[in-house]
Amino acid sequence: MDTFAQVVLDGLLTGMLYALVAAGLSLIWGVMDIIHFAHGEFLMVAMYLSFWLGFLAGVDPIVSWIASGVFLFLLGALAYRLVISRCIGKSAMPPLLATFGLSLFLKNLCMNRFSPNFRILQDTLLQGKTFMIGGVVVGLPQLATGIFSLVMLGALFYLIKKTRLGWAIQATAMDREAAELMGIHTDRIYLLVFGLGGACVGIAGGLMTSYLAVHPEVGSLFGLIAFLIVALGGFGSIHGALAAALIIGLVEALAGFYIAPVFKYVAVFAIYLVVVMVRPRGLFGW
Amino acid sequence: MKSRKLIAVFSVFVMALALWVPNAPAADKVLKIGVIFPLTGPVATAGQRCVAAVETAAEVINNAHPEFNVPLAAQEGILGGTKIQLVVADHQGKPDVGKSEAERLFNQEGVWAIIGSYNSAVTKPASAVAERMKRIFLSGCSSSAALTERGFNYFFRFAPTDKTESHEFVEYIQWLNQNQNAGIKTIGLIYENTEFGKHAADEGKAAAKDAGFEVVADVPFNPGATNLNSEVQTLKAKNPDAVFGACLGGDYTLWVRTMKQMNWLPKAALNYCTGYQDPKIAQQLGPDGDFFMGGTGYSPEIGAKYMPDVAAVEKIYSAKVGGVPFDSDAIQEAVALLVLAQAIEKAGALDVEKVAQILRSETFDSPLSLGGKVAFGPGGQNMKATSIITQLHGGKYMPVYPESYAEMAATVPMTPWDKR
Amino acid sequence: MPKLHLQSRDILWGALVCALALLPLIPGLIGNSFRAHVIILVLLYASMAQSWNIVSGYAGQTSFGHSVFFGIGAYGAGMAVVTYGLTPWPGFLAGSVMAALVAVLISWPCFRLSGHYFAIATFAIVEIFNRLFMVWDWVGGALGLDYPILPDGWVNFVWSETKVGFFYGALALFVLIFGIVRYIETHRLGYYLRAVREGQETAESLGVNSTAVKLAAMAFSAFLAALCGGFFVQYNYRVDPPMVMSLDVSMRFVLITILGGVGNFWGPLLGAMILIPLQEYSRAYLTILGSGVDLVIFGLIIMLMMIKQPKGIMGFIEAWQARSRERAAAKEGV
Repeated sequence: MDTFAQVVLDGLLTGMLYALVAAGLSLIWGVMDIIHFAHGEFLMVAMYLSFWLGFLAGVDPIVSWIASGVFLFLLGALAYRLVISRCIGKSAMPPLLATFGLSLFLKNLCMNRFSPNFRILQDTLLQGKTFMIGGVVVGLPQLATGIFSLVMLGALFYLIKKTRLGWAIQATAMDREAAELMGIHTDRIYLLVFGLGGACVGIAGGLMTSYLAVHPEVGSLFGLIAFLIVALGGFGSIHGALAAALIIGLVEALAGFYIAPVFKYVAVFAIYLVVVMVRPRGLFGW
Repeated sequence: MKSRKLIAVFSVFVMALALWVPNAPAADKVLKIGVIFPLTGPVATAGQRCVAAVETAAEVINNAHPEFNVPLAAQEGILGGTKIQLVVADHQGKPDVGKSEAERLFNQEGVWAIIGSYNSAVTKPASAVAERMKRIFLSGCSSSAALTERGFNYFFRFAPTDKTESHEFVEYIQWLNQNQNAGIKTIGLIYENTEFGKHAADEGKAAAKDAGFEVVADVPFNPGATNLNSEVQTLKAKNPDAVFGACLGGDYTLWVRTMKQMNWLPKAALNYCTGYQDPKIAQQLGPDGDFFMGGTGYSPEIGAKYMPDVAAVEKIYSAKVGGVPFDSDAIQEAVALLVLAQAIEKAGALDVEKVAQILRSETFDSPLSLGGKVAFGPGGQNMKATSIITQLHGGKYMPVYPESYAEMAATVPMTPWDKR
Repeated sequence: MPKLHLQSRDILWGALVCALALLPLIPGLIGNSFRAHVIILVLLYASMAQSWNIVSGYAGQTSFGHSVFFGIGAYGAGMAVVTYGLTPWPGFLAGSVMAALVAVLISWPCFRLSGHYFAIATFAIVEIFNRLFMVWDWVGGALGLDYPILPDGWVNFVWSETKVGFFYGALALFVLIFGIVRYIETHRLGYYLRAVREGQETAESLGVNSTAVKLAAMAFSAFLAALCGGFFVQYNYRVDPPMVMSLDVSMRFVLITILGGVGNFWGPLLGAMILIPLQEYSRAYLTILGSGVDLVIFGLIIMLMMIKQPKGIMGFIEAWQARSRERAAAKEGV
């Protein structure tokens, strides 16, 4: 029984971490309808930033996520201004490939500058701290990330649904031209959305550094899973992304333990296929 | 129509561009040796260290270093002044790239022999290229036993194989049971599901079964994992007494830390020389990395005692790689070049057949090898390859087995997490 | 009876093939050189990209799953040689037929998905296949299959002394695949495909069974991609899942075609002619600058290309033609 509870808890916490990573992607995807390939690499950049802050200046990830959030907002905005805004248009392919180019660029630039070494912060405030509930071990860093993830998704949800800016974003997502006619600067909205998407993943990366190693390839699998989560939840649906992330986290943990660890991602990808066969627009898609 | 012509002109132009290859003129008195390692991709760190090790060996050979007690160090170059020039190539961890880079080095760059290529999966097709061309291919540390079971004539490998290591692990566990009353009966395996991990695990499983141990957990995982919760959970549930691990880099740290989080440890954890023996990783894990064991061919502690001539050479290497000492993998690549140079010197000419014959038949002095000698058996395996089992104590690799090398008795069972 | 339309494009095409076929006669050009390797890869990747172009260019279904078919083809040849000790020829056939079957089976449900949902589904399929092949012992699992050293020649389809054999193999593949696409393009299936791309509902209303058309395109495309996979494994003496069945490999199909010009007959060739030499030479000659520099440059080029001309190189050419036509018209006006 304890084992089952442990597996479920691990799955949920992993799911929340995935939700945190996927939140920004969900926003970008929902509003701009582009596949943002460099999302995982944005995560990696954020982790490097947080790592270097911790390593050189002794700033704990529990604080440095603010810096990586801000930095990634700027990086996202810059990427939009320089690249995305110039190729966004009728077809889905140019922005997709441009972001793929961006991901190659970022990954290999980091490889070249920081070497492919694995780097991990030692003695962060949270690292290695655990407590027990009954027979179940709860890792403090995972729990903190999980709570953070819920808070951030809540904030994002509030921003989209309840603020004037959020309405403008929604309007832009529904019909860019109509929104433009209504006096919304859609280009600025896009810039903001890309920046916000970056900021979300920046915060995620900043926090993750407290217990995960950083290396140039770290973003690849997280990026892929983020795609899956966003598509599973339904593009543009933030609560859909949360639900999808939890499902994926759970499936991964349960399949990993009760079938075989090597099949855990097979199960994750298969669950996506099964769901979209039944609901071709994802769980909460419209 | 005009448009078709434009396309045609354009195509021809690009094709012409594609055909243009800069051919570097070969200078006199230079022997080109190809060096193929993964300089990008997931195992690039290891690849870059291997290149630095070969470069170190080339510096030792090319310049007069009478202060080093290493063959060929005192003189400049080989064959009376021929300098070794390295041509470095990146295979990115991909077998197809490794194969075409091997061809390019031989055909285009005109290298005389190749040293490479860390990943066994790449070494296989790349060395097959050399074998077909009847050229020498040296592999320092690719560990798949299959490499030297192919009956190749021009392929030589310096490190012990996974098979040798697996047998050593099992032997050591039996020794522990007898001498330290370890009571190890069951064995679990955790390994990255790649050519390397799978191969090591298969050998480990076979060796353990032959010796009458029960293999209770067989846990492959996908490298570059976001978490290893299910993997460690599975190990914990099956609770094997000893675990054989084959995890690289970040996966190794993640594995150790996840075990700490789940508050579980086997009595003994033995690792194929990878993540475990990367000095950077040991440093990063700090005290969490202690009491893990693994096969080791070199560490500064072992070197100080059994390989006194390494320290001086190591300084050149450390300067190239940001201060880390040699590791068991990289040092083998340096050995490869040193032994090749000795064989060429003995042959007295750049004659592939003759040098290969000498490599096959003679025994070489190798102060950079544990045991000090290199001699190849059939298939090109270094029969003198020795690896000893070490245990990490305070970030130091302390030899624990075989007895002739042991500095201390290993801490078995490992100290549990809450007692550290 | 379809009439034979001989257009200037076909003449150019014929000339190109003849010129390529005569290349090995130039002494020292092919031999065993690195440039031979690059030329072979250009032909191979152009063929791969063209096979992708059938489904994703002409029919507009962007698939990131083609490495699955490529991989099945590769395993067909690899297993024929390594597991069963045969020549690769039955393997080519078995792998390709298998790939076409698998393509139909997995695309049938997936075609119901639209846009990004379809794209992500193809990602998921690649990952599933990759991971299953990694643990499937019958196909060699993570260890992969390694070729023994075989005598050179067409029977074994391996050559080590010279690359002329591989060159003709790649050329045959290239002619076959480009020929089939050329044929499809000007015949009924091609029109149907484009009709489906431009608007599925409209096509249906004109009596085109869009699902059948898309499935046929997918089957053709997978069959041809698998042939390329078979060639790839013969060329590299080894097959394992990451080499042939991964998102990395899938992206190559996509990148080359998009770079050259998607949905265009010449696009895949142009894309391969730019991308492959760039990839091979930059890797070979830029390693001195430190690791990864070639891929950094590569990433930059892709971004620049998408900003400047999302239609790929064909877009540049078309724009140039339009301009020169305008100039000609202006001159006549004077």
